Amino acid sequence: MKAILHVIEYDFRNFFRYRWFVIGLIAMNLADLFISAVVFTQMTSIANFNYFRFFAPGLAVVGLFASAFMIGREINMEVRREIHHYMLSLPMTRTELAIGRVLAGGLRGMLYMTPLLITNFIVLRFPTLPQLLLILLTLLLLAIGISGVSISIAVSTTSFEKFVTARGVVYYLLFFCSSVFYPLSVIQVLATKGLGPLVTFAQVNPLTNGSDLIRSFLLDSPDYVFSPLMLLNVAVFSGIFALLATFAYAKILQRH
Amino acid sequence: MFISYKFLLIMRGIWFVSQVALFGLIVNNMVKAAAEAVDINYFNYYVAGVTIITLYSTAMFIGYDIFEEAEHGVFEYLLTLPVSRRELVLGRSIGGGLRSFIYVGPLLVIVLLILGVSNPLYLLVALASMFLFAFGVSGMSITLAVAMKSGDKYDILIGVLDALIVRLSTTMYPTVYMQRAMPAYAAVAEFNPLTYAADLFRWGTGVEGALQFSPLVGVLGLFIFFFAFTFVGVVFYERRLEGGNWQ
Repeated sequence: MKAILHVIEYDFRNFFRYRWFVIGLIAMNLADLFISAVVFTQMTSIANFNYFRFFAPGLAVVGLFASAFMIGREINMEVRREIHHYMLSLPMTRTELAIGRVLAGGLRGMLYMTPLLITNFIVLRFPTLPQLLLILLTLLLLAIGISGVSISIAVSTTSFEKFVTARGVVYYLLFFCSSVFYPLSVIQVLATKGLGPLVTFAQVNPLTNGSDLIRSFLLDSPDYVFSPLMLLNVAVFSGIFALLATFAYAKILQRH
Repeated sequence: MFISYKFLLIMRGIWFVSQVALFGLIVNNMVKAAAEAVDINYFNYYVAGVTIITLYSTAMFIGYDIFEEAEHGVFEYLLTLPVSRRELVLGRSIGGGLRSFIYVGPLLVIVLLILGVSNPLYLLVALASMFLFAFGVSGMSITLAVAMKSGDKYDILIGVLDALIVRLSTTMYPTVYMQRAMPAYAAVAEFNPLTYAADLFRWGTGVEGALQFSPLVGVLGLFIFFFAFTFVGVVFYERRLEGGNWQ
């Protein structure tokens, strides 16, 4: 356990080295909320839909994804510069090292997402304590899952460009086929264009379940009702990718 | 050199396709009533806007090249070439704009197939304006890159600038809704080169029957943008080249 905490500490120190990068990322996220979402709110108000309120929880998930994914960028860099030899020489097991990296990625995502979540509470409403705990648990699981996806890609790609390309594909697929930017009911339009599988993907997408779970507590709307299946969906995603990343990190690094 | 960014270019291509085929289609469904109220087809409106965003982001790549050259000692080689400093810098600026156009070319063909062309003469004016826009963005990228010593800081600045310049333009939504949302946003958008480029492109393809401004004003705005940044970029770059200031 102590070894895992050391790895987490190491990754947090690295995270703060990129503080300007993080500040830039926050500025981009806030521009999304306070410029794009505000204008789209005007465009959707004709249909009595408040886009700003809808998008705010999605933004927390966008921020969580971007920051939890950063761990993959660092691990990919370590592999390319062969820093992983140093990591493997540390007095800890491969599994402890791998678990530490996956957890650190998730926790860094949570840290970054906190101001965005607080913005949500301010502009929407404050949840009750059990609701807050459920939101935090769901987001933590989601962050660990995203960190797992990122690490799995990082150790399986040999160059930064390939990592960036793979990240782009994952990002666009997960975000555009989810209810982060628009409601699931609107995504149904894809089915009429022969893109039915993408609608199904959007329904089971953990980003959809994560953002809709926050909406169910922060938006007083009958369209969003909490279901334990949302949490289960995110937990399954998190479990699969955390395990995959742990296994891939421990095994592939040894092979390198 | 541009081709060496093949993965980034592939990623931009994927981004473009997903923006059009997923985001564009879905958001079109969400804002249909609002778009019809101002007599536009949002999908077509958005496709034209995404084309300009892609042109903008690929023209910005030149700044990364400058950092890469400084890092790998290519500057010294460039300085030994039998061309004047001014020619070298002007060539970089125009080359940056031109290569972004080459990249956007195939996407542009697809977009024109989607949007159609109502008046070839208008389209030619729009394409010429887009050339000016691409050269101007390339000059802006060079100016920012030479004004900064760190590639990381440049990367962050570009990200923040991108977030603001794209969102405060008419690439994604019409001015009338920006005005209703926040008059200050619409005021900034009026002087944004992305607004001029996007609106001229829509006018050229017939997506927007009438422009908010005269086409001449749009072309003039882009010319001023191009001239200002190419000139400033040349001066900055020349100064930085002298005496090993890039190191």
